[in-house]
Amino acid sequence: MVQCPNCGVEAEENANFCPLCGEPLMDKTTENTALIKSGRNRQNEKLLTDYHRLTGYQKRKIFWQISGLILISGIIITLLIDFITHRDITWSKYPATISLVLFINFTLNTFLRKKMTLMVGLSFLSVTGLFILFDVYAGDTGWEIKLGIPILLAAYLTVFVLIFLVRKAKQKGLNVIAYSLVAAGLFCIYTEGIISIYFRDSVYFGWSLVVMVSVALIALLLLYIHYRLKKATDLKRFFHI
Amino acid sequence: MDIKSSNITPAPGKFWFTLDNAAKIFPAVITSEVTSVLRITAVLNQPVRIKHLQKAVLQVEKRFPHFRVQLKEGFFWYYLEHLPQHIPIEPDDKPPCRKFPNGRLLIRIMVKGNSLSIECSHILTDGSGALEFFKTILIVYSCECGAKIPPEYQLNIPVERISEEEYEDAYNRYFKAEIPPMVKRSSAFHLPYPLKPVPRFTVLKAIVPLEQIKEVVHTKEVSITVYLTSVYLYILQEIYESMKGVSKYKKRKKLRVQVPVNLRNIFPSKTMRNFTLFVMPEIDLRLGHYSFDEILKSVYHQSKLETDEKLIHKNISRNVGSERKLYIRGIPLFLKSLILRMKYYSLGTNQYSGVLTNLGKIDLPDETGRQIDYFVMTPPPPNKRLKINCGVAGFGDKLVLSFGNVTQSLEFENKFLQFLRDQNITVERETIE
Repeated sequence: MVQCPNCGVEAEENANFCPLCGEPLMDKTTENTALIKSGRNRQNEKLLTDYHRLTGYQKRKIFWQISGLILISGIIITLLIDFITHRDITWSKYPATISLVLFINFTLNTFLRKKMTLMVGLSFLSVTGLFILFDVYAGDTGWEIKLGIPILLAAYLTVFVLIFLVRKAKQKGLNVIAYSLVAAGLFCIYTEGIISIYFRDSVYFGWSLVVMVSVALIALLLLYIHYRLKKATDLKRFFHI
Repeated sequence: MDIKSSNITPAPGKFWFTLDNAAKIFPAVITSEVTSVLRITAVLNQPVRIKHLQKAVLQVEKRFPHFRVQLKEGFFWYYLEHLPQHIPIEPDDKPPCRKFPNGRLLIRIMVKGNSLSIECSHILTDGSGALEFFKTILIVYSCECGAKIPPEYQLNIPVERISEEEYEDAYNRYFKAEIPPMVKRSSAFHLPYPLKPVPRFTVLKAIVPLEQIKEVVHTKEVSITVYLTSVYLYILQEIYESMKGVSKYKKRKKLRVQVPVNLRNIFPSKTMRNFTLFVMPEIDLRLGHYSFDEILKSVYHQSKLETDEKLIHKNISRNVGSERKLYIRGIPLFLKSLILRMKYYSLGTNQYSGVLTNLGKIDLPDETGRQIDYFVMTPPPPNKRLKINCGVAGFGDKLVLSFGNVTQSLEFENKFLQFLRDQNITVERETIE
């Protein structure tokens, strides 16, 4: 039996570390000084190597670098091909602009993940820019102001609220699908409304209400399964009175 | 609450059961300071052999499956649900009686050098229940260290044959309907000391030779509990009388000490869950100064009177009766917790000035007992109003008093121990952080 110098309990004679507190128990005069660190430090280091070496941020940054390389080289290559074949920039401005907006969004997702509102706001601006540019390329039809940007705004707001709700949900499962369905249904309603204003100058809902009712029914079923049936066996204990 | 409403047999899968009558209050009032965690320490003669202890705990936890539970929130009540984790054995280097985090077991074992402690939430069981469990661990530990244990202490009972009685809410068994409600007592005096900054809880331990205190107690012809309760009241009186000027504390002139009574000694029950009630001997300072012998006599008779079987029946029925009423059962838990929290002070702490809990003389098989020097019983940390409480445990030739304190003052403890010294009792004191 050897006594642990830290917590004072007795451990087996051949134990290298205290089974209770992790303090090293081996002979400190031998040359294995590298091994002789407090057990707790070693555990902390192990935790560090396992979980903390690559943070989520670092992983996203690697993804950002790779996607940046691909997108930017893609932009340059398409522009070059277009220019060589046509002696002018014709079709290539579309893929180049899309790639640029994609890259901007990847950048935002990598560096502004903590600032949700700012990230979503800037992302919205970048896509708005994309729409305006498309309109400029197509020759100023004005569709983006009346149609494109309102629908885009509705989509962004819906997704923003959806992300917020999903983040707040304690248990994630079928409820996430239910929320997404309802969000999609709502998005259909906005879209139809905006389109009807664009084409007829009046608000009219038709097909989108059918979509909404059907997704709402499915969502309710999913929520019921998620919050109640899954706990069916727990119901008795949960509601014992 | 019908006992059958819970799935109490440790069947495969997750069994669950309701909180017993006494435990129902605790989840509503637990904070990181008032943790409702009680602690029993055995100080061994040798450093704890950790491998043997681990083996012992693994064996004993199988025998008591109902101690491996976590607290869960239902819609109307809390309940306890089986949690298949091992009872943790931890180095004892943090403050005592820390709160148990959610989703964990409500029991832990703490080890440091020679001292082996069990910390257990009051939701799970009372001092006697925890002691029973702890004794089993100590016995099996001594077996692991090579001791021979008499057969009546063997724990080779298959899980299926564990008596349901061990895990029943024993208050229910002794409930009688249609008993008159109890009259609310007036508020009692509370110690005036300022609180410590958090974490507040500290423990002072005093070791007293059992022979010496027995001699003193015998000349007075009372029990140790009655004697110590009287000292408690006497010191409270002294502190009250020494307070100068006008103080809100001085308005309350009743001194009461709450003394938990182990109901297993009065009603036959094998339950391992809470089964305790209280007697509250009091002295009323409006009637003038009491001498120590007057207090002793009064406490003796009050204790005898209040432990009358019929009176206890009445108290059980009052407590159980209120939780059986349908309109109380139907209140959603969050509202219930609010109400309980208020009642905890108005019906609980307001009524007494101190707590003295005596675990009694602990007996163990000889070979196990030889490994142990003494026991310490630390009651759950006192709340802001109560400020100080006292736990007592006797073993071998030592009686250990342990004062839990959340204030900046040690005046009460000093006076208490000085009183004992004045009776020619040697007191050896030691602070545990």
